[in-house]
Parts: sequence; C-alpha cells; structure tokens
Amino acid sequence: MYVLHYAPDNASLIIRLVLEEMGLPYRTALVDRRIRAQDSAEYRAVNPTGLIPALQSSEETLFETAAILLWLSDKHGQMAPTIGDEHRGNFLKWLFFTANTLHADARLLFYPEQYAGSPDDHVAFRGKTEVRISKHLRLLNDIAASAPPYLNKERPSVLSIYICCLIRWINLYPVDRKGWLPLHDYPALFEISKGLQDRPATHRVADAEGLGPTIFTEPHYANPPEGSAL
Amino acid sequence: MYTLRFSPDSASLIVRLILEELALPYEARQIDRAAGELSSPEYRALHPLGKIPAMETPNGPMFESAAILLYLSDRHPGLAPAPDAQDRAAFLKWFFFTSTNIHTTLMDIYYPERVAGDAAAGSVVTHASAKMKTLLAAINQAAEDNPNWLSFEQPSLLGYYIAVLMRWLGQNDPEATGYIKASDYPALHKVLAMLEMRPASLAVAAAEGLGKTIFTMPS
Repeated sequence: MYVLHYAPDNASLIIRLVLEEMGLPYRTALVDRRIRAQDSAEYRAVNPTGLIPALQSSEETLFETAAILLWLSDKHGQMAPTIGDEHRGNFLKWLFFTANTLHADARLLFYPEQYAGSPDDHVAFRGKTEVRISKHLRLLNDIAASAPPYLNKERPSVLSIYICCLIRWINLYPVDRKGWLPLHDYPALFEISKGLQDRPATHRVADAEGLGPTIFTEPHYANPPEGSAL
Repeated sequence: MYTLRFSPDSASLIVRLILEELALPYEARQIDRAAGELSSPEYRALHPLGKIPAMETPNGPMFESAAILLYLSDRHPGLAPAPDAQDRAAFLKWFFFTSTNIHTTLMDIYYPERVAGDAAAGSVVTHASAKMKTLLAAINQAAEDNPNWLSFEQPSLLGYYIAVLMRWLGQNDPEATGYIKASDYPALHKVLAMLEMRPASLAVAAAEGLGKTIFTMPS
C-alpha cells in the first residue's frame, strides 16, 4: 500500500493519476498548505525538501515527481518503455526535458517571487517565461505528432499525464493570466489531453480533488470535496 | 559505439567522465561553436534545441545530460543501483533532484538574463545563490550516510554529476554571490576528492585541458 502525500491540484495530482491508471492500492495523506504543513517538522521528516508530492512505499519514501514516475513505471512494468526497449532512450530524454525544462519554467510562472524578488520585475520575467514555455510545448507537440509509444492519444503514459497536468496549471496560474495558452496551437497534445480526461481513472481523481469534467482542455480551479488546502 | 558531441568543460564533460569510468568505446567529436555548428541542420538533427551535449547511440541520438547518464548506466551496470535494487528509489530521487533543482539553479546563476531579461538578472542571481546553498546542504546530508550511489569510496553516476556541477560553482569569482566552496559541504567534498583522482577523471582532464584537482579546486 502506497501513501501519497498530496495537496489538491498540486504536483501530487500527476502521481495520483498514474496510481489510479495503474490500478495500484494507495491512500492519500493531506499536506495542509493553509498552515504551511509542507514546512512542518513532520513533513520535513518525510521529505527534507518540503516539496509536494512524496510517495511512501514499504521500502523508501520517494520525492521528485519525475523520479516517482520513473520508479513506478519500472517497478510495475506499465506506462513507459522498459529498460532494453528501443524507445527507452527517447522516453528518458523527453521525461528529463519535461522535468528540468518545462516543469522548471512552469514553476517560474507559479512562484515568481521565489526567483526574482521585486514585483516590478515580474512582468518582464513572465513574458520571457511564457515565450520559452510556448517553444517547449511546440517541441513536445512535434514529438507527440509522431505518436511514439510513450506519448500518444491511444494509450496513457506517465509522460502524457505529466505534460497534460503541466498544461493545466500553466493555463490556471497565475490567476490573472488564466487561459493564456492557446491549446489549439498544439493539436497533438490537445488530442492526448482530450483522451486522457475522459478516462475513468481521471474522472475518479477529478471527483476526489474537485477538478470538474474537463481538467485538461477547459480547466477550472479546484473545489475539492476532501481535504481542501486552498 | 557511442559518439559524444562535446565542447571542453561544458555539460558534455559529465557524460564523458561516465563513458571513461565505464571504459566504453566512444568517439569524442568536438563541436565547432565558433563556426556556428550548434545551429547547423546536421547538429539540429541530433538535438532540436542545439544544446550541448548530444550523443549518437545504437538507439538514435540522445540529449539531456541526465537522460544520457541514466540510459548509459542502465545499459552498462556498475555506477548506479539496478532497477530492481532496494536502493534504486533513493538513488532516483536524488538523481532527479540534482537535475531538476541543482542543475537548473546553477543555470539561473550563470545565465540569469535568459530567465528574466537584463533588468531582473541581479535579483535572479541573488535568489538562485541562496537557493543553491539550501539544495547543496540537503544533498550533502544525504551523502553523510555514504550510500553506494553517492559514496566517497567508489565512483557513481550521481557522484560525477554533482562533482561537475560543483566544479562550475567553484569556478565563480570567490567574491561573487554564486561562488560555492566545495569544502563547505564536507560529505560531498570527500566524494569530489576521491573522484578527481580516478584514472577516468585524469584522462578526461588531460584531454580537455582542465588541470589537476578538477573538482575540489577547479581552475
């Protein structure tokens, strides 16, 4: 039984969707961001970096979203090319690209104050970040258009769930830029988003975290029936 | 056979050290940056963003330093826990932590204008430098138990990755906010001191003209 330390509509959502899609037993433990529980001694004992998510297994407590994705897919032999598969190398490069480039740049949009101090700086900062994010998504869209086994609309993968969640948040945060990203400019990724959001696993998670029926293509803010931390 | 496209003392260094340490046959082909090779159609076919490194493999072109490292170590075991090993999870979380946090923050310190434009560059460096110290303290603590994936007794994928990043931080002007002194992180410093004496490090240092003590006292 896994324990997922989560906050509604936080990066933990990526892991939760994958756990549901793989059909693995897990329970959730809320990290209450209203009282900054991510900085509490209890949570720092689980994850010394204080970041959400963390995933406890019987062997180890994992953190780093992409590390959890890779570990789960290798352990359970699902949703990514296995070691020795001819697509493994390509899968890894796009997984790392998503983690250290797309996700890293998305964090600049969500938390500009952590990167450039003065609010006066944030406008230029945001503009440059939005340009970079658009380029990253064009690149990923080109890959998705060739429908490799790790990024296509037929079968969910850890990478497609990761990218679609990032697109969701890029369109929701910061709130004064809601919906800035024209999804139709990325048709292959848009098709993948539509397919994923209609899956039963996605519906179960969306219901639990109050995300509504179109969590990727027409996202709105979470209104969770359980464990609200917003 | 692998062909690594490299430029001295750039991110290709991490991959080259691992190729040497694993004693794999490879060709190192220097990129002619002055001639604009990174923008050439031939290089863009290997790496659509025109960044360093790229590596040709039997499975096609690879890029992203950390992805190349993991790809190599899973094909040629010895420098990281195998996928079914008990400590694979611990290794993976710190490996991704290094790629997504330490490496990206280092880029913010060295290329702040890419993040925020010239106006906010100073502010970006200040924030990134403070964050770097927190990140290094966290991984230094993980190294204190001397896990075999970040040990001072045996070479490791993660050890080399951290060592190269600390090399670059140590190359900063000691007066600069982004300067990092390796000896401030004792557990990591022991790993660096061991790694820089490895035949693999000495061979790569000689090939790229990096001097001795490439990690603890970089020039």
